Amino acid sequence: MINFLHGMQTYELFRFVGIRIYFGVIKKEAAQVVSVTPLSAPRHFVLTMKSAHLASHSRPGHFIAVAADTGSAILRKPFSVYTVNPDAGEISILFSVYGPTTTAMSRMLPGDSIDVLGPLGGRIFDPEPIKGIHHILVGGGYGVPPLNYLAKTIRASAPDAMVTVIIGARTANLLVGDDDLLDAGVEVIYCTDDGSAGVHGRVTDALLPLLKSDSRVYTCGPTPMMKAVGELSEAHGVDCQVSLETFMPCGVGICVGCVVKMRDGVFSRTCTDGPVYPGCEVAW
Amino acid sequence: MSTVNMTVQIGSLKMRNPVTTGSGTFGFGSETKDLVPLDRLGAVTVKATTRERRLGNPPQRIVETASGILNAIGLQNGGIDDYLANKAPYLRGFDCPIIVNVPGENPNDFAYVVERLTAAGAADAVELNLSCPNVSHGLDYATDPQLAASVVAAVRKVTSMPVIAKLSPNVTDIRVIAKACEDAGADALSMINTVVGTAIDPRKRKFRLANITGGLSGPAVKPIALLAVWRCYNTVKIPIIGMGGIACPLDAIEFMLAGATAVACGTGNFVDPTLSLEVIDGIEKYCVENGFADVNALIGAVTAA
Repeated sequence: MINFLHGMQTYELFRFVGIRIYFGVIKKEAAQVVSVTPLSAPRHFVLTMKSAHLASHSRPGHFIAVAADTGSAILRKPFSVYTVNPDAGEISILFSVYGPTTTAMSRMLPGDSIDVLGPLGGRIFDPEPIKGIHHILVGGGYGVPPLNYLAKTIRASAPDAMVTVIIGARTANLLVGDDDLLDAGVEVIYCTDDGSAGVHGRVTDALLPLLKSDSRVYTCGPTPMMKAVGELSEAHGVDCQVSLETFMPCGVGICVGCVVKMRDGVFSRTCTDGPVYPGCEVAW
Repeated sequence: MSTVNMTVQIGSLKMRNPVTTGSGTFGFGSETKDLVPLDRLGAVTVKATTRERRLGNPPQRIVETASGILNAIGLQNGGIDDYLANKAPYLRGFDCPIIVNVPGENPNDFAYVVERLTAAGAADAVELNLSCPNVSHGLDYATDPQLAASVVAAVRKVTSMPVIAKLSPNVTDIRVIAKACEDAGADALSMINTVVGTAIDPRKRKFRLANITGGLSGPAVKPIALLAVWRCYNTVKIPIIGMGGIACPLDAIEFMLAGATAVACGTGNFVDPTLSLEVIDGIEKYCVENGFADVNALIGAVTAA
């Protein structure tokens, strides 16, 4: 299926097993940095850039790959799309400073140019706006930003949709990515390992009482968290879409380095065969 | 437009410019179709295609190291049947020669795949992957002159397409292997394949690659590759496709000056899939600025310091 799509000259929307296939037109560009804003969470930033292309082609689940002048670290680094403003032609990404690329990004100034490739990703989130569905989005750490975008997208397309976002972190000051969710009419549940904010416990503790036959779960974050969310959903017969975060050397499907094992034994490229999979396909 | 002759010849394969892609660094040409029109390339060298489908190695398959990457993909591919049915038709939609990289566990495997490619007209040249370091149990044909020659000879019998032997740097003297391949009937050589290595996570006290060993590529290996090209250029008469760490047009110029007739952009494609296009334009610009009317004048034109 994916190979077939790669051979196509035009881009279309496909749906199968509940996941949307949407290859955006990939473009490499030098986008202009609009702002780099530090968050209250230590070492976390939101970078907003001007890109009419990314703003019009990005969908929830897509990511972009950034190249910065980082000396001996040569590869691009992937970042999920956080917010999109098509009218202003701007998108933003949320990141924490981890290595040389993110260090360079944290020091960028408005007007600087940023080398970006995107939008990337083959299978992305499919909210399937069926009436009566309760959309439950479960995120941890850097997995929250794409879910924020998804939550707002669902509400924008179906203003009466029931959307709950469960956000987990080790401690209160690491809760990120919740901007404007309440304004968008989304229910937000916070969970912290140390009880410093919201539910004292794991995201699965908050998820369990919400799981009903009309639920649909979407998750992104650390692999152990997604595994737990995926397995809990599966045990309750609830569809779960997982957005896998792996080390992606190229982001466009040519290096075959970002693979994860599927239950049928095949190694799947998370960049173009994913990053979003039905949880029941992944061999955790 | 400039008047520089950019055409080069690899055996009977005519390339409109000296730039191709490194096998395994450009997929099967369709992945980056938004970014790279194939008919601008001198040739497209596609990912390794084996006799049977291969699932590849478990992750972690790639790690980043200083100025390079280590990979142990394990030749994941759909096999020759998949290539002929699903990959070749797309590639044939472009006016661009196709070089198919062929690995094998014995000379018969190599010959089988090349025979199928020849019969189907699904390639314009074959590159024999004598030295993929990531496949366990396979003999490394690139480290022994007789073994390398046996593969070239087996393939030579079944095709009239140009046969390119891809050589490994993981040998004491690459010239010996180069000569053996030339004598066995190879039309060209490509070099270098990756440099075998490993990486360790000191915090976890574990190897970083599931396969333990991987192949180093990227700018870190360029000096090794340049020397291999120059040494072989002075040893054999057949053309050389030079590769290893090309990240900009001037890197490609260095390979041509060392004796390469053509060059391949490899790991650089992961950073910028449009690198090949930049290199093509850059080589032409270099020729114009330095008064070369023919790109072939660059080949082996390096002189002592």
